[in-house]
Amino acid sequence: MLPSELLLVRRRKGRIWPRYAKLSDENLEVVKLLIEAYSRRVGEKKSVLKVFVGGLEDMGYDYRFVRGLSVLLDRRSVFRCNVKVDPVDLRRRLYQATGKFGLPTTPERRSRIIESAASELRLTAEMVEESFYADLDSELVLAEFNPLPPQELLKDYNLSLTQTLLFNSTELNFTASGNWQRIFYTVKRLGMIYEAYRSGGFWVKIDGPASLFKLTRRYGTALAKLLPAIIANKEWTVEAKILWKYTNEICDFKIESRRHGAVLEKPEPSAVSYDSVVEEDFATRFQALKSSWRLRREPEPVPAGRHVIIPDFSFEREDVKVYMEVVGFWTAEYLRRKIEKLKKIDVKMLIVVDETLACERLEKLEKRAKLNIIYYRKKIPLTPILRYLEEAFQPVEEKQTLFVQNLPVTFLESVVNYEEFAARIGVSTESVRTVLTKKPPQGYMVLPNSLVKKDKLKEIGKPLEEQISRTGRLPLSEAVKIIEMEGVKDAFNVLKVLGYKIMWHGISPETAEVIRPETKQTGKNS
Amino acid sequence: MIRLRFARGTLLLRGEVGTPYGKWDPRVGCYRVKAMHYRDVLTYLGESRVPFRDEVPNLPPLQPLKCTVELRSYQLEGLNRWCRAGMRGIVVLPTAAGKTYIALKAISLLKTQTLIVVPTLDLLDQWRRRVAEYLNVEAGAVGGGEKTVKMVTVSTYDSAYLRAEVLGNRFMLIVFDEVHHLASPSYMQIAEMYIAPYRMGLTATYERGDERHLLLPRLVGDPVHTVDVEELAGEHLSPYDYEKIYVELTPEEQRVYDREMNVFRRYLKEGGIVLKSLKDFRRFIMATGRDRRAREALLARNRALKIALNSEAKLNTLAKLLEAYRGEKILIFTLHNDLVYRISRMFLIPSVTYQTPREERREIMGKFRSSEYRVIVTSQVLDEGVDVPDASVGFVLSGTGSTREYIQRLGRLLRKVEGKKAKLVEIVSKGTVEVRISQRRHRKRKTDGEG
Repeated sequence: MLPSELLLVRRRKGRIWPRYAKLSDENLEVVKLLIEAYSRRVGEKKSVLKVFVGGLEDMGYDYRFVRGLSVLLDRRSVFRCNVKVDPVDLRRRLYQATGKFGLPTTPERRSRIIESAASELRLTAEMVEESFYADLDSELVLAEFNPLPPQELLKDYNLSLTQTLLFNSTELNFTASGNWQRIFYTVKRLGMIYEAYRSGGFWVKIDGPASLFKLTRRYGTALAKLLPAIIANKEWTVEAKILWKYTNEICDFKIESRRHGAVLEKPEPSAVSYDSVVEEDFATRFQALKSSWRLRREPEPVPAGRHVIIPDFSFEREDVKVYMEVVGFWTAEYLRRKIEKLKKIDVKMLIVVDETLACERLEKLEKRAKLNIIYYRKKIPLTPILRYLEEAFQPVEEKQTLFVQNLPVTFLESVVNYEEFAARIGVSTESVRTVLTKKPPQGYMVLPNSLVKKDKLKEIGKPLEEQISRTGRLPLSEAVKIIEMEGVKDAFNVLKVLGYKIMWHGISPETAEVIRPETKQTGKNS
Repeated sequence: MIRLRFARGTLLLRGEVGTPYGKWDPRVGCYRVKAMHYRDVLTYLGESRVPFRDEVPNLPPLQPLKCTVELRSYQLEGLNRWCRAGMRGIVVLPTAAGKTYIALKAISLLKTQTLIVVPTLDLLDQWRRRVAEYLNVEAGAVGGGEKTVKMVTVSTYDSAYLRAEVLGNRFMLIVFDEVHHLASPSYMQIAEMYIAPYRMGLTATYERGDERHLLLPRLVGDPVHTVDVEELAGEHLSPYDYEKIYVELTPEEQRVYDREMNVFRRYLKEGGIVLKSLKDFRRFIMATGRDRRAREALLARNRALKIALNSEAKLNTLAKLLEAYRGEKILIFTLHNDLVYRISRMFLIPSVTYQTPREERREIMGKFRSSEYRVIVTSQVLDEGVDVPDASVGFVLSGTGSTREYIQRLGRLLRKVEGKKAKLVEIVSKGTVEVRISQRRHRKRKTDGEG
């Protein structure tokens, strides 16, 4: 953020935007000069630095640009008062001396006072002169400077410029691809009011309590503080109303990641929150299940009346979407209010609660696994969540099953894969499986993942049989290859149906063998 | 049951009931009212016999006050009129006529939680001292790094504005010192975001050049009492002498001055620009942001002015004056900090600027008060209302030509010190635009009917 007099903007037809510094060679050159100047002038007075900065202004660069950069570099510098005596104390001595001896209206009387102070402090007269106002801002000495790459300074400058313009904003509208928890946390902390709405995506409008009565720049500073959390995302669009104080006009301001992301400094993503380890662990275990549910972390917020709910996860399967929030510290009242909030909207949501983070005594709460609350300790359990998901999907499942049942279909192909068939008619694999296994079509054998014509099975059996009788053994890999060549993916189940067994030698499928148990063999031969 | 609650500088009315000034806020689903209408909302709900619960005030505990203020007749008159106006309104009194005492008496009468809003940290210190001395209670402070809320609390305008969201429901009486500041677009939100039903404004210069003082009656109340300097001069305020000394620039100064000034004039002439009003000037300043030549012209003008204001000859004259007034308590005013430090270095005079560390400033002011230091050189921080009890002489080395500033500077010197006549000396460079600035000041002063 910069002093407002250094703000550089362009205005046209009711629109306003900052004059961003392009990452051009020319600009990079100025920036490099400045960074070098600071690096080389460690040990010199601030006023010397400012003379150099003034020189760049005279060279034709906009003074607001050059000074803005210098302000940012000042913040990366440590300036110190570099004298042997405390200037405040020194001044006190001198003032007191004049109180006693009178004001020195001639140079002679002045140097007499200075010299007597110098001898008292065991300093030279020059050192006294030097120290007299050594604590003034312009007299401070650059002690440390923390340089940065030129490109970064330009981006930092552009971000600061944007924030400085936003100081004049009366409201802010934005959409972003994530980071919602931090954004809403910041909104709340700053005491702002948000409204969520849809406009080709999830949008949020932010202003403050008194914005209701009149346009005010009062919340501009807070809105500017919110900006980094928004643009830390990959994708974002920010719009604002700017009350331009010089003309008292309302101007529109808009920036978006696609066009401006490259010239703006991207702030560090927020630090991990305390429960993220638990969440991380849950996500890993859930993914390992390879279920039909697509898991997403930090999905976009869900508008709930005048509020929004910020879930931690979403589970998606076909049209069914279930949200899940992992609650931190809580009280029974807090949970009750949350449930109330959820009841008002048509959204399926699981609330996962760590029992150990209860802020009141445990016996006070209803411990029944009521509604959609799941209690846990240490680890978020998978089973109740999967059960809930299944239940959530059930209505869809039932509808689809009915649909498949009534489907007038005759199969011609020798192998019907449930998954492929389900995809073809647009229902879940589960519903196809349910219908087909319950009432298989004539002449088909039911396998867990597919239907196979009985004739086809016999056909597959032949080459397997041949292989065994010819070589005396059938490696598993060979068998799978043969079966898959016949167009059946379900090799293991085919082998099972045909009465084969698999002999494992260790855990590798490479060394496993397919055998025909003797009893079965004789049984089949007879 | 309807609940009335304070929400960050506004009032929220839970339960679907409208009130005067109320506005439906769709964002939160209830009526919202500006905090300043607190009293009206209570009256309305009471009169309509609507049962409601008032959860608005969050007041610090009361403390016993022991008031030792004795008011002069014109101060008592001001206080009475303010009370009759419903304990709202603005009292206009010349600087040094004891506005503070009227406010202190009002606080002791109402015996309620009070916020005193002041423009500067110096004034914050000063009010705290007065509260301790005349009400015998320790005042809280918000501003300058402090954040303690007590029954009587003093705050700067800046802090009162920035912290309105959390301070707005903590006081029932609010006193605006130098109330003309309140009319600025941001500060007026202090009046709007605080619930205090009782309000008092104090100023010596009610009218503002931009006419914004017309907003004040809505925020604080009407002016209830106005006393001119003439009415008090002689009896309650010491009369003063005014003298202007013209000083020639040194030949070298004059040469550089003319050169720089010509750059500026040439730019105006070539562009056909006339700078007559403040508006013209503002337009010119705006142009300097876009137009490089305009900026160069402005810089040249500023350099020329600096030479006129900081002239060597002036410093020589100052040395003579300091000799002539040896032993008196003297305040030296200049516009530029550079000149403050130059004078401070040259004559080893304590300086006070916005850069002076707060502790050192306190010490310097304290020692000046106790006469340990007899001279102070300062830029503008002492301008308004800060009490420098018995300075009898003032030297003005440069000024901005603003009327209000001029009156207040005079005012500060008008302390009655054992019947002694105060003296103000202005040192102006001859043959420069500074003469014009100085003349403008005096013209303005006459038309304003003050001084």
